[in-house]
Amino acid sequence: MTFLQQKRMSYYLLLAPGLLLFASIIIFPVAYSLSLSFTSFGGYGKPAFIGLENYVKILGDEVFLHSLRNNLLIVAVSVFGQIPLGFLLAFLLHRKMVRNGNFYQTMIFLPITISPVVVALLWNQIFSSSGMVVAIIRNLTDQPQYVMKIFENRQMAIYPILFVLLWMHTGTYMIIFFANLQKMTPSLLEAAQIDGASESQMLGRIILPGMVGTIATTAIFAISGSLKAFDLIYSMTGGGPAHFTEVIAIYMYINTFKYYKYGFGSAASMIIVLLAVGLILILQYISRKFERRFE
Amino acid sequence: MNMKRLFSIVFISLFLVPVLLFAAGTKEQAKDTGDGVTTLSVYHFLDQTDKTTAPNFQYLVDVFEKANPTIKLTFEYGYGEAFHDKLQTMAMSGQLPDIVLLYPGERTSQVTNAGLVQDLRPYLAGHENEFADMAMQGQGKNGEIWELPEDISITSIMFTNNRLLKQLGLTLPKTYEELLAQGPKIRAAGLIPISIANKDAWPMQSCVAGMLVERACGLEWFDKAIAGEARFDDAEFVYAMEIIKELTDKQMFSPGTNQLAYGQGLDDFVQEKAVYFIDGGWTVNNMIGELTAEQKEYMSLESFPDIPRQKGKSLSTSATAGQGFGMNAKLTKAESEAAWKWIWFYSGPEGSAIRQKFGRLPAYNLDEPKDADPMIQKLVAYAGKVPMGYVMDSVLAAEPIGTFNINLQNMMFGTKTPKQISQELEAMVTAIGR
Repeated sequence: MTFLQQKRMSYYLLLAPGLLLFASIIIFPVAYSLSLSFTSFGGYGKPAFIGLENYVKILGDEVFLHSLRNNLLIVAVSVFGQIPLGFLLAFLLHRKMVRNGNFYQTMIFLPITISPVVVALLWNQIFSSSGMVVAIIRNLTDQPQYVMKIFENRQMAIYPILFVLLWMHTGTYMIIFFANLQKMTPSLLEAAQIDGASESQMLGRIILPGMVGTIATTAIFAISGSLKAFDLIYSMTGGGPAHFTEVIAIYMYINTFKYYKYGFGSAASMIIVLLAVGLILILQYISRKFERRFE
Repeated sequence: MNMKRLFSIVFISLFLVPVLLFAAGTKEQAKDTGDGVTTLSVYHFLDQTDKTTAPNFQYLVDVFEKANPTIKLTFEYGYGEAFHDKLQTMAMSGQLPDIVLLYPGERTSQVTNAGLVQDLRPYLAGHENEFADMAMQGQGKNGEIWELPEDISITSIMFTNNRLLKQLGLTLPKTYEELLAQGPKIRAAGLIPISIANKDAWPMQSCVAGMLVERACGLEWFDKAIAGEARFDDAEFVYAMEIIKELTDKQMFSPGTNQLAYGQGLDDFVQEKAVYFIDGGWTVNNMIGELTAEQKEYMSLESFPDIPRQKGKSLSTSATAGQGFGMNAKLTKAESEAAWKWIWFYSGPEGSAIRQKFGRLPAYNLDEPKDADPMIQKLVAYAGKVPMGYVMDSVLAAEPIGTFNINLQNMMFGTKTPKQISQELEAMVTAIGR
């Protein structure tokens, strides 16, 4: 065996275990799920091929469309809420515009260290019909029958969850931005300051252009995380009442594990994958354009 | 050997460890350990944090193991949806435990319909008459008994706080109109007329709708509907739904009932914030510990009052045979016999007597408990006097009933009409097959 062959062989050998693991836990389940999505498999027996029927049914199902709408709202809150807010907080802390920065940094990051199930229980304790806020309002208004109607409105029921998601995940993005801001050369900002640049000018001309890559990466995190959102929402509302707060992951879960429609559920999971990939590709296209502009 | 090569070998070995472990799988635990002890795995539905049911169940296990030293049971527990998710995974991966808790209806059909468990009739032969008739109804297409029901589940009881009734100058309503008329007075006193928590969507169907369908349509109609000779959008079924809508619109249920987690209904009743509380007989199990001795005296178990144009029986309720243990079809003869010993102990005379003392209503016929808790005595007396109709989720498939549960919430919010949800149920039942 020549040296080149030996080298190539060692590459394959080193790559093989990782590739095998990746194939067994990522590629195989995705491929299996894709094949199941074209069947009416119900958990036992031989899967019957039904072509695109599952996809057609899903796309015509108003529950799915409402779930998709909820998911897109979560994406919007993540991309246009958590990321800008996280960046703003990181900027304020980095530029030392607030006192006791370390304290605020810890407090803002704290929610992400708590389990989503605990967060769900916490907010349920606050907002549910038997919770603290409702009890206070009932006492203050002397209306023992008072309930928060927002949770019983098809269009609005998701908004309290969006707020909790904003509260919970902003800290993650703040830390990412804060770490990247610390990496910036201080002399660059000092020079700008000497030249008489204001904070907003430094932000718009130096800091933001330097953070385009980080913003794009966090946006990818936000989109993929938003589309697979499940744990917090399932723990808070289970997708209810009446599907009002359902997202695609819960839609998939209910159909697969409660109704034993494995083929149908697989098709729903494929739609999540396609949506995530599509949105991320669009985002990469936009971020590349921005990068070129700033270059 | 140079350092690079050594490093490569170590690196590759480290990568291979998880792969080899993954490929090796897990070795099955030996069933017979050689000392004559048969070890069986059991998968059970139990909330291990529940201060009532968890120690009660452990007590049963201890009694069994003491009486059967040659059988060792190793338990694995699941609760809520997680129980069912894991059961499905076990079934699909061919790793079903030796003994597993199953349901008589469609809830665990992915295990029973797939032939993964044994028909218990050969073991049960000669004992059929010792159980309530409802418990001995066939569970499979050919009348198979996949699990031996432990309890009879009465799913609709109107628990009544007679102290509050008296305080408000009211009496137990005999008719639906009388019940509705009590609403304003109860609410004016800052109380809830009927406590029920429907966030999980099943309580309104299981504890209210099934009973009202029995009242509005009658048992005969339900048999016809299941056979396809009557429809779920018939006028009488729609009428049952209209009653739920009217109860909602007239604020008879807990405020924000569709936001209240299951358990809140009982809390409000125990704290005497509600005059009535609709739930299943299984709640008595918790009431024993939650209610004081004084409260147990004035709390009674009643039926929902008669409705106008009632076709079903007066004061009837809805009931079904409950869950129970079944055994894996792959067990050997000796293992099957050991598994049956546990199943028979649990749902047979011995375990049933213990569970009755804990507040359950066993499917096994027992004498009335003289020394039991007052709430248990009331439950047994109630079960003995009321006619029983079907529980919808025990006779309809998972998807139609799941959609129907959600549609009941939609109807309560006004986003769907009683007629619409009835039509959707009929369409779904027809599409899936009755």
